[in-house]
This record gives sequence, C-alpha cells and structure tokens, in this order.
Amino acid sequence: MLAPEQMSRVLIAAPNDLLAPIVAELQRQRLFHIEDFVETDAEEYEGFRIGVPMEGAGETSKELLRLRSVTAAFSVRPEDLTPGGKVRESQLKAQVEHDLPAIEAEVEGLLSRRTALENQAKELDQKIEGLAPFAEMPVDLALLRGYSTLTFFAGSVARTFDPGVPHEAYYSESKRGKLFVAAVPVQYRQDVERKLLDAQFQAIPIPDEQGTAKERIDAYRAQQDGIRKEIEEISATIEDLRKKHAEFLVACDELLSLDAERSEAPLRFATTDHAFVAEGWVPTHTVGPLKDGLAAATGGRAFVADRPAEPGHDLPPVEYHNIDFAKPSQFLLDVYSRPKYAEIDPTLVMAILFPVFFGIILGDVGYGIILLAMSLGLRKLLKGDEARMLLNVLRNAAVSSIVFGFLYSEFLGFSIPGLHPIMPSRHLNIGVAEGGHGHGPAVPELMIMTAWIGIAYITLGRILGILNHARHGHGSHRILAMLANLGWILVMWGILVMIWSAFPLPLMPDLTGLPAVVLGISLPVIVGGIMVVVGIVFIIRDSALEIVELPTILSHVLSFARLMGVGLSSVAIAMVVNYIAIGLIIEPQLENFGIISIVFIIVGLFVFLLGHLFNTVLGLLGGGLQSLRLNYVEFFTKFYKGGGEKYNPFGMKRRFMED
Amino acid sequence: MAGEELALMTVEMVEASQLGMKAIAAALAVGLTGFATAIAEMTIGSAAVGATAENKDVFGLVLLLTVIPETIVIFGLVVALLLIF
Repeated sequence: MLAPEQMSRVLIAAPNDLLAPIVAELQRQRLFHIEDFVETDAEEYEGFRIGVPMEGAGETSKELLRLRSVTAAFSVRPEDLTPGGKVRESQLKAQVEHDLPAIEAEVEGLLSRRTALENQAKELDQKIEGLAPFAEMPVDLALLRGYSTLTFFAGSVARTFDPGVPHEAYYSESKRGKLFVAAVPVQYRQDVERKLLDAQFQAIPIPDEQGTAKERIDAYRAQQDGIRKEIEEISATIEDLRKKHAEFLVACDELLSLDAERSEAPLRFATTDHAFVAEGWVPTHTVGPLKDGLAAATGGRAFVADRPAEPGHDLPPVEYHNIDFAKPSQFLLDVYSRPKYAEIDPTLVMAILFPVFFGIILGDVGYGIILLAMSLGLRKLLKGDEARMLLNVLRNAAVSSIVFGFLYSEFLGFSIPGLHPIMPSRHLNIGVAEGGHGHGPAVPELMIMTAWIGIAYITLGRILGILNHARHGHGSHRILAMLANLGWILVMWGILVMIWSAFPLPLMPDLTGLPAVVLGISLPVIVGGIMVVVGIVFIIRDSALEIVELPTILSHVLSFARLMGVGLSSVAIAMVVNYIAIGLIIEPQLENFGIISIVFIIVGLFVFLLGHLFNTVLGLLGGGLQSLRLNYVEFFTKFYKGGGEKYNPFGMKRRFMED
Repeated sequence: MAGEELALMTVEMVEASQLGMKAIAAALAVGLTGFATAIAEMTIGSAAVGATAENKDVFGLVLLLTVIPETIVIFGLVVALLLIF
C-alpha cells in the first residue's frame, strides 16, 4: 500500500543454442521486463555486442507486412474483435502456410482491380469536366479543329463581343458564365487575340472528342455507372471475405507478431560469439516461478541470478500494487504520471478522496443516480481496460454523489422533504422574493468547511512529502528536505493560529479573548509567530528561492473553495431549471387548466429534462475536472514527482490463440 | 432645493442603494476575474492542445497547466460571496 510492487533485478546468461527456448519461455511467462542492452565502453561489458535477430526474422516481418496490408484493407483491428474460441498454435501454423497466401492473393487482386476502376472513374470525371462548358453547344466537337485557314477561339467572356473581322461566333449563357466560341480566318488571329484580351477572355481548351459535347457526356456517365457498379460488387465481395476471414486473419496476425517479437528479442540482449546475457526486472514474488520455468525449458543449463531492487540506486519499472478498490484510480494517476519506484504511490489516497471531492461538489441524489446508471449502462458499450477503469471511477464518484446528496438533502435541486440537511445548506432563494421561505445558503459555513478540507489535505500532502524524502534518503539533503516540508506545515498552521486569535470564525477555534502575555500580545499570536518564523527558516535552509512560493499557502487553501463554488453553481442551475419549468410554465397552467395547458405542460417537462441533462453534463465535467485538479495541483505538487517507467513485461498477450 | 432632495433620502433608500452597490461589486468581482481566467486559459489551452497532438503522454500535465488560472476566478467568487453573505 502506498508503494509500488517490489521488483527484483534478474540476469540470465546462457549459451547461444539456448536462445530460442529461453526467449520462448520468457514470452510465455510474460513476467520479464527486458532492460535494453546499450553498447558501452564500460569495462564489465567489454566484448559484448547487441545481438542479431534470429533466423527467419526477415521472412516473418515480410509476411506480417503483407498480412497487415490485407487487414488494413479490411479495416479489421484485433481490439474490435471479441475472441470466440481459441485456435491451437500448431493448427494455426499449418493454416498460415496453406490458406493465408490464397486469401492474401485474392484480396490483393480485388484491391488492385478496385484501385484501377477508381482511377478510371476519376479520368472520366476529368473528361466530363472538360466537356461541361460545351454542353449547350449543338455542334460536333470534331468540326472545331483541323483547319488550315481557320483558327478557333473558345472561352468565357465578360460581355458579348464583336471581333470586328469576318467570323462566325456562338454564344451561350449558363450559370457558369458566357461561353464564346468563334471561327476566325487565320490571318486575323493576332488582331482578335488582342481584342479578346480587352474583353476579359479566358480560354477553355476544346476537348478532343467526336460528336456533340452532350452526347459525349452522356456516354461517359453511362460508363461511370458501369464502373461504380463493379466497384460496389468488389466492395461487397471484400466485405464477404472480411466477415469470413476476420477472426482467422487477426489470429494469424497474433501468431506472426509473436514470431516477430521472439526473433527480434536478441536485439535487446548483450551477446558474444558463444553466449548471451539478458538483464531485466520481474516482480519479486514471481522470481521463483520464472527461475523454475527457465530451468525446465533449458534443462538447468541457463544461469539465472537475482537481487532485489535498491531504491535510490536502481530505476526499476513500476507496477502498481493496490487493493482492488483503488485499482481504477491507477488510471487517473497514469494520466498525470506513473510514480517512480522509490516514491510514495498516492493511488489509494486519490481513490478515496477523488469521489469525496466529487460528492462535495455534485452532492445531489438525483444526479448521482443518473451518473450511476450511466456508469453501469456504458459498461456494455465500452470495452477495454482503460474504459473499464474510468467507468469504475465514475461509479465510485456517483455513489459518493448520492451519499452527499442525502447529507445536503438535495434531489435535482429540490430539498428532500422531511430530511434536514446535515451538511451546511446550499439551497438558494431562487424565484422567491427577498426573505422568502428558504434561509439561503450557509455560505460562511461552507467556505470554512472547504478551507478545513484544504488545510487537512495540504497537511497530508506535506506529511507524505516528509515520508517520501525519508525513504529516498540521499545524505544531508534528506534531513533538509524533510525539515522544509515540516516548515511548510508550520508556516500554514502558524498563520492559522494567528488568524484565530485575531478574528472569531465559525467552525474554527476562537482564540480572540485570551489575555495578553507580553507587550499586549496574547500567547497564541506568539506561538503562531514562532511557528511561522521557524517554518520559514526550515524552508530557506533547503532552498532560499522557495520563499517566493509562500503565498501559495493562502492560494492553495482558498483554492479548495471551488468545492463550494462549483457546487453552488450546479445547485443554482438546477433550481433555476426547476423554477422555469415548474414555477413559471407548469404551475400556472395547472391552476387554470384547459386544452392548451397540455401543450404548455409538455413544453415545461421538456425544459425540465433538457435543463437537468445539461446540468448533469456540466456537473460531470465540473465535478470531475475540479476534483482532479485539486488532486493534481494542490495535492501532488507537495510531494509527488512521477515519471516512473511502466512495467511492460516481454511477451504479447495471446487473445486468439493457445499453445 | 438640495436640502429637500437630501431629506428625501430616507434610511430605506440608503440601505437599498448599499445593497445594490454590494451586488454590483460582487458581479464585478466574479465577472472580471472570469475574464482574466479566460484570457489566461486561452493561450495555455491552445498550446496544450498543440502539445497533446504532438505527444499524447503530456495530457495530464497540460490539463493541470490549463486549469491553474482557474484559481483567479475562485478568488473572485470568494470575494463576491463574502460581499453578499
């Protein structure tokens, strides 16, 4: 608890002929996190080189590449498929040799045919586009070229135009603009060109076609229809093949990926001409099974040594070690950064306090039930580990929201009849005149309550900071860093004590009335002052620059006021929705009921549903993000760095295949 | 003339006007700090989206950076609530 899984460093050394069985065994066990070997000049690594891939690695990769091009064409992704029955590996291997090439050839043939057809359709599109300006012209296009005495102009002009030389012209107007086609004797060509320039002439090439433009366009369209039909047929065939072979193909993908992974493993080992060394990490409690497995696979011929990780010296990969309840929150921690091996893992704290903060913000039985239903309902739709974890976090948050809803006595913004709120009331006077029946929100109490939460949480953060430094332990800095954290606690509580002796505040100790001891100053002020001064000295001894961070004591505690602020705004929206829907639309209609009232009541219900839907989404975002932020910014910055490497054992997960 | 007007300012009117001033002050406190937060988050947010597009792993960190200015508006809210209640 509060610490990651304990890791051991494992070293495997064996002769090269054992490479294949050892890699296969490691892949099967999925325990060994390989530490990649990097060639160095260090003395102890003299003579070691990075290994070369096993035989057949190139073949496997090529085969995998071909397979992936097919699965990409099918848009089959392994994560979208739920494995039915698992296939035996030996059986699959045989199938890969027989069936896969045939399927691949078939699909590749279909795909290249489809691409060719698509290109043809595109070419026809271009031809039609070139013909389109001439569509209205009832002249065979073949007549517009091939003369030695005539030159033709075709293009769009801004206005009707007279070349002023002997000519024959054709105009047509469409929404594209004015088409102008003219035949002019060759000798006037330059003359006409100049005049056309003045008329903003834009030449359009005359298509090289036989027959009128309209005929040609119709003919090309007919061709295109034929091509489209064929493309559809091919797509349908591919779809059929996809349905038939999808599972087989992902299983093949898995088999080949495993093969590739195995044959490329030596690239991560240190090798000599006759032996190899693999270094890596495994969780300490699995060292035994790992050794037994390797001994069985190699007949005891491999040398395996292990030692526990030394925090502060090693940088092992990090695997979480939490109770089941806290596991979903690992997701939230990964979003920030995985803890380092030597660091305190705050997952458990977060697993408890994230839902609590969420509940304090969105404490409403109605919204809680909606979110709970959502988290349970989405379970069927969303697959995958991360989605599952997120939904579990949402479920915990929703439960907490319901609990706090009872404490606040809130249901969709209404107060629960007969239930007196235990927590300070958040009900606002909305839709009632000044001094109406409600007594308004207990803002000062709420604010002090959030300040207390902030003080407690920040103190906890600093205590964890002290523990972190105590564990890290690097020499003299260790004590200084621990004292600095204590200093922050002292400064915060010192300021608090001085505030208590100056102002009487609700829900906080009142030290104002105490008699003066020295120079008219009362004891708490002196004690508080000493705490602040000692605290600042502790902080400066660690790092003088930290002094500029002193105001964050105030800002971080006040930042917890968002628990109240965001919550109040959510209550306010809920109450406004209720007031508009019920107070303004439905109630007046019920008093003077008529036929038209039914319409108004339906409108009112619609407003009610829409408003609360909107508020649920806002509450989810607001409550979630703000609680997360309080953890990330106000809590983690006190002690947590993160940046640990994820424990990622060698060996893919087998989903479609078994040994 | 001025004296007559002054006499018309009854105690109730003064109180009502004070209440209005408080409401305006509270509105300014929340509104202006809201603007400040929005301006600050605007630049951080766009940079954050850019950074996330380059490297998905920084999402948590940039989310944190984006919401840091939110404290400004919370201060505004605290001041406003203290003014009203």
